[in-house]
Order: sequence, then C-alpha cells, then structure tokens
Amino acid sequence: MITVRDVHKTFPARNGNAATLALQGVNLTIGTDEFVSVVGPSGCGKTTLIRMIAGLVLPDAGAIVIDGLPVSGPGPDRAVVFQQFALLPWATVTENIAFGLELRGMARAERLAIAHDLIYAMGLRGFDRHYPRQLSGGMQQRVGLARALAVNPAILLMDEPFASVDAQTRRTLQEDLLGLAERTRKTIVFVTHDIDEAVRLADRVVLMSPRPGHVVELLPVGLGRPRPDDLDQDPQAIQLKAYLWRQLRGMQQSPPPKSRP
Amino acid sequence: MRLRPQRAGPGRLLQDPRAGWFSLPVGIVVWEIAGRACDFAFLPPFSAAVTAVWHMTGSGELPLNIVASLTALLIGYASAVCVGIPLGILMGRYRRVDVFLDVYVTILLATPKLLFVPVLFSLFGTSRLTQVLFIYLSAVVIIAVNARSGVRGVDAGSVEMARAFGATERQVLTRILLPGALPLIMAGVRMGMGRGVRAMIMGDMLIAVVGMGALLRKYGGRFDAASVFGLLLVIVGVALACTWTIRSMERRMTRWTEET
Repeated sequence: MITVRDVHKTFPARNGNAATLALQGVNLTIGTDEFVSVVGPSGCGKTTLIRMIAGLVLPDAGAIVIDGLPVSGPGPDRAVVFQQFALLPWATVTENIAFGLELRGMARAERLAIAHDLIYAMGLRGFDRHYPRQLSGGMQQRVGLARALAVNPAILLMDEPFASVDAQTRRTLQEDLLGLAERTRKTIVFVTHDIDEAVRLADRVVLMSPRPGHVVELLPVGLGRPRPDDLDQDPQAIQLKAYLWRQLRGMQQSPPPKSRP
Repeated sequence: MRLRPQRAGPGRLLQDPRAGWFSLPVGIVVWEIAGRACDFAFLPPFSAAVTAVWHMTGSGELPLNIVASLTALLIGYASAVCVGIPLGILMGRYRRVDVFLDVYVTILLATPKLLFVPVLFSLFGTSRLTQVLFIYLSAVVIIAVNARSGVRGVDAGSVEMARAFGATERQVLTRILLPGALPLIMAGVRMGMGRGVRAMIMGDMLIAVVGMGALLRKYGGRFDAASVFGLLLVIVGVALACTWTIRSMERRMTRWTEET
C-alpha cells in the first residue's frame, strides 16, 4: 500500500525563475495491486508526485509511506517507465532491458536470460542486438517497460509513458499494459494527460488541481477486468470521461491566482 | 551518405576524400623537379632527402632517436590521458570541483605551452622529465576539457533513470557518464595526441639532447639540408601514424554513434 500523506513540495528559485510551489497538501492512498491513473492540467505536479513515490525527489513536508516504511530514496520494490524512454543509446536492447539487474549485481548469464524472456514477452523478438535509435518510439517504450519489468517490482510507476508515441501505437501499448495488469499482480501508478487513457486502463482515477497541485477527486472506474470489448460504447465509461473532461476544462478556464514566493 | 549529385569531369576527382593520394605524389614530383632545377643548397630534391633518411637509418642514429622521442611521448601522453579523463569527468559532474579548477584550466588553455619550457628547464634541467612534463602539460588540458563537455552533454534523463533503478553514485559515473561522454572523451584524446606530438618535437629541439628534434637541431647546425628535410618527412610520418592510431581506436569505441 502506498500512502501519500499531506505532501508539500516547493522547487527553489533558479536562473531568475521564481520559486514554484508544485504540490500543496497531497493526500492519497493506493492499495496493493491497484491500478491508479493520475490526471490533471499540465504543470499540476503529476510528474513530481510520481518522482516522489519513486524516491527521486523528497517531500519538503509530509511523507510517502510504502507498506509502513517511509520513502527516503529509490528502492528495489519500485521501477519507473519514463515518458522520454531514457534508454541508453550505447547499449543494445538486451543490455538496456538488463540494465536494472546489472546495477543490482546480478550475474551476466542470469540477467541475460531474464532479458531474453522479456524480449519474447514484449514482442521485441529479432531486435535484441539493435540499438535504441534503430527502433520506433513504440518499440523503444516496449524496451523501457521491459527494463522496468525485469527487476520484478511490486510497484510500477509510469510517467506519461505513451505520450511520445503515435496514436495507433499508443492503443496497442495500452492493450498490452491491460493484459499485463490482468496477468500479473502489481501496483501501477500511471500519470497521463489523456482522459480516455486514464479511464481505459485504471481501477481508479485521481484528479489533481492546477498548480499548486493537490488531489481534487478520486473516481472509481468500475469497468471490471478484463475490460469489455465495446469500451468506447460503454455508457459508464463515456459518462466518466465526459465528467472528467468538464472538470479539467473548468480548471483551465479559471486558474487560481498565481502564488507569490 | 550522399548530399548532392556528383559532377562529372576532373572536378569530381578533387571532391573525393581520397584525392590526397593523388595530390601527394604531385607535390613530391614538383618538389623533386624544383630541387633539381634551381640547384639551391637549401632546397635539396626529394630523392636527396630520402637518401639522407636511408643513411641515418643505416647508421642506427635515426631509429635510436625515434625511440627516444616516442618514449617521452608515450610517458607524457599516457599520464595526460590517465589524469585528464578522470579530472574532466569530476569537473563535469561536481560543481565544486569545477569552480575550483576552472580558472586553472582556462589559463592553461589560453597560454602557449612553450612558456612553460623555461620554467621546467630551470626546475629539471635537460633531463627526460622536463620533456615528459612538457608533453603532459600540452595534452592534459584539452583532454580534461573535452571529458568535461562530454559529461555535461549526457542526457539528464539517463542519470535519473539510473538513480531510479538504484544506481550508486559510483555506478552513475561508470555506467552512465563515462560511456555517455565517450565520444567527446575520445575526441579529446585524439586532440591531445596532436598536441603531445607537437610538444614532443618542440621539447626535442629546445630541451633534450636526444630525440628527433635534437637530431634536427644537429643537422640544421651543420647546414645539412638533405638530412633536415629527410627528418621533416620522418617527423610528419610519425605524427600521422600516432594520430591515425588514436583515430582508429576512437572509431572502434564509439561505433554506436554511427548512422545506420
């Protein structure tokens, strides 16, 4: 279970930019094996929140607690999938997938065996010796996802992972992730700005306010797994998406007064 | 990769990167003819220079001095690589190290290294150490500066990714920053070789009593133009060989940056 308790974060002034109050009193509880999507207007601190759960950024006030232990840095229970893939350009697909295991000191043969299995599972067969630049964006993100899965984390943190790929590829990747969420037991936190994607994938949607970000609403999706085939026609899904869209549009039309440092 | 359609005719030959293999013999022929035609003591023909090299090789004088020069180069340059790369990486990674050392780097980068010769000379005399230090000083800064730029150019996302997967600071340095900076590091290593070779010759001529530069000084003093020109040819050859060795190493180590 992930508990985000009254988390505040201010980024200090830098290069002439004023200090930014990114998160103000975020409270959120994510259950074990739950799939949660986080949506909100751009700049609301969604990415900051996920980086905090990853342990890459620490809160100024409040705490993030995972299964009773406060987060003080990155840990083997968590893995991150990045929006810009963050693959190592000098390493092959296999080496990239095995990178997390290499950092943990796993023997070469062992980690290559795991990478090999994931290459099959992620539909990357035949690309094991390719370099990232030789792959399409969608393929690169499959490598990014495989790298995260290789370390077998209990928690998968995904920061707008499909935002940099074309619409068609995004749809395929979403279906793959749905399949993964049904087959394996993992807690997944999925940040996105795409309402359709949030509803399609998650058990629950977390709606965040504009900056300084806090949680406005928690919405159960209630579509069941596996998802119905006619999800686009599902009245419940349509209703939820329409509601979320109205909320987000309302936020963008009436931004709160900017906070002064 | 072809950027524009090739033109027909003689212009095409000169666009070819291998045109050097054509223009070089032309220059040699011109040199030979000029040397024979003007019968001027300070312009011996090419053939005379080659004969002089032949004689110096036969007497054992040339190989001995080439080895002497290259030994100084190897020691000075290898130290410059071993110090310059880690130093540059640390400067690129840690702001404090950079703030502290940047002024020295800037000074050394802007100063002609020749200025250090009298200083080194007064400290260490005509010893081999003076020459080695001169080569080291000439090469180390450019290597460090390139390594620093290389580290700074590494995608911050890669570092963040490594940290998210639990990398220690040491792993960030060795698994992310070092390989990521490698193309620029190798460029610095190549530039350092060019500077090292120049320092080797200058050091020979100004400081040492052995080496190719010292030999050049000796024959220059005797007004033996054929031997001087012959030595120039040898020095150019050695310099090119050193640079090519480094360049082929560079290509092998940074293959992943090549176009597909």
